[in-house]
Amino acid sequence: MLVINNVSKKYGKTTALNDISLKLNKGACLGLVGPNGAGKSTLLKIIVHIVQAYEGKIIFTGTSNTDQKRTIGYVPQDICLEENVSAIQNLYFFGRIYQLRGKALQKQAEKVLRYVGLSERKKDKVKTFSGGMKRRLNIGCALMHEPQFIIMDEPTVGIDPQSRHYILDMIKQMKEENRTIIYSSHYIEEVNKICDEVAFIDQGKLIEHDTIHRLIEKHAVPAIFFACPNSESLLKDLHQLSDHIQPYKNGYKLTTAHPMRTMEELLGICREKKLALKQFELIYPTLEDIFFKLTGTELRA
Amino acid sequence: MRSILQMELMKNAQDKGLYFWTFLLPIIFTVLFISIFTSGTEGADKEYVIISIVPGYVVMFVFFIMISMGFSFIDDRDKGMVARLASTPLSPYAYLFGKWLPYVLLVFTQIMVLLTFGKVVYNIPIEQPLLLGMLALILTICITGLGLALSLLIRTSNMGVAVTQVIALGGALLGGLWMPLDAMPSLFQKIGKLTPQYWAHNAFQETMTGTLAYNDFFIASLILLTFGAVGFIIAFFAYPSFLNRAKH
Repeated sequence: MLVINNVSKKYGKTTALNDISLKLNKGACLGLVGPNGAGKSTLLKIIVHIVQAYEGKIIFTGTSNTDQKRTIGYVPQDICLEENVSAIQNLYFFGRIYQLRGKALQKQAEKVLRYVGLSERKKDKVKTFSGGMKRRLNIGCALMHEPQFIIMDEPTVGIDPQSRHYILDMIKQMKEENRTIIYSSHYIEEVNKICDEVAFIDQGKLIEHDTIHRLIEKHAVPAIFFACPNSESLLKDLHQLSDHIQPYKNGYKLTTAHPMRTMEELLGICREKKLALKQFELIYPTLEDIFFKLTGTELRA
Repeated sequence: MRSILQMELMKNAQDKGLYFWTFLLPIIFTVLFISIFTSGTEGADKEYVIISIVPGYVVMFVFFIMISMGFSFIDDRDKGMVARLASTPLSPYAYLFGKWLPYVLLVFTQIMVLLTFGKVVYNIPIEQPLLLGMLALILTICITGLGLALSLLIRTSNMGVAVTQVIALGGALLGGLWMPLDAMPSLFQKIGKLTPQYWAHNAFQETMTGTLAYNDFFIASLILLTFGAVGFIIAFFAYPSFLNRAKH
């Protein structure tokens, strides 16, 4: 388990992190979401012991202090690879740091190469790789010592959709292996796809931390979407049900505190007026909508 | 530490530019300058010029390794490697030692290759080979110590190039590598004796001719090691600040 207790960090007079507390169970996948400059990378650097001067405590349960670094695999936002040497030599380099030698080192490097889908390019120099391949190898380097905790800082920045898809699949596989993952990103759709929990960070503060399901339940009332050929006559009656009706796609979106009851009433009105609905569904807000609702900040601002 | 050492050696082995700077360019300069300055001379005069130029260009060119050292540290810092390694069990001083040691091997090899070239092509005398070998090692420690300090102090690669040029070329001029110190004004002669190049060049020349007294060997060694030690001390104090810059 990973426990972050009241962690704060200042750079001069600037507060990078302000009293962050989080708890992460073994095997959980946490999406750390916030706009650029929110403090995500600083928090990750504190977790992986890069930044050591901070207030608060980071506790990895089940490991001693000296073992902590051996249980963590850190994937930085920068591509930290030696471009002039081969992919397998880069993996050997990180493996040796964790005392892997000889056959064990070779076997583990081959395994990681298969994992990141670069077995066929293992002897090629990294400088000949595409951005996506470098990103995959960058992740592979963090997996050489089979860490329990994998801390990833925006691992999909600036890559093509195919590589992004590949990386997300890799992370899903890591989840199946019961590794504990922290995945920092400002691509909310990625977090939605792979994470069980999400923590919103803005201006160094933890705004909310919960499972994605509970967050949606807690902060997002679903809206009703409908499309109807004679919507003008329907709209007049609908204003009795809710004042929040706005055009949305090819129809209208109606927001109310009681969406299920309102759906029944809307259907009743349609039956009464003999109007046929072309589309009728509940639409759930995205995590991005919730983030905006909680912080007033656009994620990609 | 072993992982850093191996990677650094591998990187250097792949770097064609490094071969050019380290081996080819000094050989070209040596051949060129010997052919210019020995034209029209014979016998003892010619030998004197060769014994001055060969160690002179060895000493001058080994200082340029400081550029490569600076580039290597700046590259690791800028691409986030230093920060990433801080998240691993590798100790910061193992990283520093692992980065330094390959340059010790490289500089020592460079000195040996250039002297061997001088021996094979110009038949330079090497009367005190043991002392020459020891001096080569001491000069290596001196230069890599200064290189380490420079690498941890500079903010950009260009800054590293500029400072190295000043140290290498300024030291070569003042230290009597380009022209005999006696031919320079007395103030320059005094300043020249404060450069490591002067002591290395003189000691190298004397081991070749077999005239280096043990006393002079110790003095030259002590001065060169002091320069190296100053470099290591500066590096030791600059390292935390380098790490700090690299981590943020």
